[in-house]
Amino acid sequence: ELPPSHFSAGRAAAVAVGYLRYLRGGPGQGLELRALRRARRQDINDVGHKYYLELELEDVLDKGRTVNCTAEVLYHLGSKGTAPDVQATVQGELRSTEEADKEFYHRIRSLEKELVAENIPDSQGNVPPELEPIHLLAWAASGYVIWQNSTENTKFHLAQVKHVKQVKRSDEDLQFDYVLLLHEMVSQEVIPWEVTVLWHPQRGARVPRDRRQPGHA
Amino acid sequence: ANMKLILIFSALIGASLCLETFVGHQVLRIKTKNEEEVKQLQLLESLEHLELDFWINPSAPALPVDVRIPAVSVQSVKAFLESQGIEYSILIEDLQDVLDKEQQDMAESAQRQRSSSSFDFGAYHALDDINNELDHLASEYSFVEKIQIGESYEKRPLYVLKFSTGGSNRPAIWLDAGIHSREWVTQASALWIANKIASDYGTDASITSLLDKMDLFLLPVANPDGFVYTHTSNRMWRKTRSKIPGSICVGVDPNRNWDAGFGGPGASSKPCSDSYRGPRANSEVEVKSVVDFITNHGNFKAFLTLHSYSQLLMYPYGYKCTRPDDYAELESLGRAAASSIQSLYGTTFQVGTICKTIYQASGGSIDWSYDNGIKYSFAFELRDTGRYGFLLPANQIIPAAKETWLGLKKIMEHV
Repeated sequence: ELPPSHFSAGRAAAVAVGYLRYLRGGPGQGLELRALRRARRQDINDVGHKYYLELELEDVLDKGRTVNCTAEVLYHLGSKGTAPDVQATVQGELRSTEEADKEFYHRIRSLEKELVAENIPDSQGNVPPELEPIHLLAWAASGYVIWQNSTENTKFHLAQVKHVKQVKRSDEDLQFDYVLLLHEMVSQEVIPWEVTVLWHPQRGARVPRDRRQPGHA
Repeated sequence: ANMKLILIFSALIGASLCLETFVGHQVLRIKTKNEEEVKQLQLLESLEHLELDFWINPSAPALPVDVRIPAVSVQSVKAFLESQGIEYSILIEDLQDVLDKEQQDMAESAQRQRSSSSFDFGAYHALDDINNELDHLASEYSFVEKIQIGESYEKRPLYVLKFSTGGSNRPAIWLDAGIHSREWVTQASALWIANKIASDYGTDASITSLLDKMDLFLLPVANPDGFVYTHTSNRMWRKTRSKIPGSICVGVDPNRNWDAGFGGPGASSKPCSDSYRGPRANSEVEVKSVVDFITNHGNFKAFLTLHSYSQLLMYPYGYKCTRPDDYAELESLGRAAASSIQSLYGTTFQVGTICKTIYQASGGSIDWSYDNGIKYSFAFELRDTGRYGFLLPANQIIPAAKETWLGLKKIMEHV
């Protein structure tokens, strides 16, 4: 059993939330951890460390409502290479994003010029309302990168969307090429990461391509 | 149709109450392609019953036409434009929303003006403005003095506000902010706190009794070079800006540079790292200046430092994972302070040693102060928990400062 304030519990929770953001997040919803209620750690010989977590989650756009979630995060032995395994079950429903998703989808599809933006939020923390969905989609995409690249010795957050460029496609997906700044709490590095996101109201978000930007920030 | 009726009625009622309301009014920007389209718009302009309000009148094809359309006419005007193939975009979806927001902003700003003689504590400021406000506070309050304890690497003064109502070398409390320059809510909160203490002395019982017995030294911008760099070049800069011999990389993590477990785990030996500890302890003049000042003073009882983000309230140790001798008292005081913080807006701070709560980190400031006899050594990590991180919106500065102040006060009262 771990006190929820212990850093290793918080790091595992961040992985679980990243995973869930990728699976369920999108331009109409921003999943955030409201509280970590309980954490247990199990050391499995020759396999790795498994964390059992009880989380309370909220949608930043609808903070009156929370849902409970149980998650398991397994970090494999030997830190390089494999992403942690995550399983998560969410009890209950957050507010529906169907309307918001449709509206966003049509707004972007009907843009004459491809959307380009940078510094979201800006230095003072501002996000223009029309860019909030782009910000939330970046959150969902960063969830994938965070999940795939986390170890017991890292804790990632999305620090800022440095740059985003829409790429028009002939199929039904929306495509955005992002440069995200990821803040890694343990080393305190802010790492630029190139992430391509595909999104569709029914199919959700997918990250077909991502890479840590070479060179020093 | 019902919506239209409601709008017409409310407009009528509004008019009869002499309340002009712009609910549902839209402002369109129309891009005319030729003279013919300009003429069409001029025709529209002549239809007085539509009550169109042209902010930019139709005159020539090259110029945009901006027009405010009352709610009742929005759909029909748009239908007209579309049927004529005239391009337009929506500049303002609902004018009333914009006006309401503007009123709100102005009221808030006016309130801030009234209570703070024109320095907006609810906004982020550059270094010069901050230094000017320090001068202002020092000149306005007789017990507040601005002193310089040293200079940064790039020769910027390190200014500390000294709050002292008398005595000679009274027991003192140290508070610093912005040692990591990208943590903007900390410098901003420090300014608010400085103003709060200065203006509440004499009226607030707690602050008055505190300052009647002890002195307070507040360093709002502990890393001015880094702070300027976050404004001019890289918002995410953390370290100092010192040149490192033999490296193309710049800067040392000033909170790994103190002489407490220096060189141990939890700090990097690589100059390009954001947690680079530096070539040796106290190599950074920003750190050395504080060390010398506190050591020479000799009578500090508390050392408090502000960071962001994560919402944590921590005490030593960071460089080792064993508990300090005063563990029980510091844990209990930390919990009480976190409770005070939570009482205001419900913001929760986790409490614990640095090593257990965040990570093992050597060369940290509160470990140094604790090992040098300053028992009440605490490090705060302010809002938020990652949604905005370092880029905390300005409208959260004052709430963050207010709740943090409650926590600081709890600790200071105990000292």
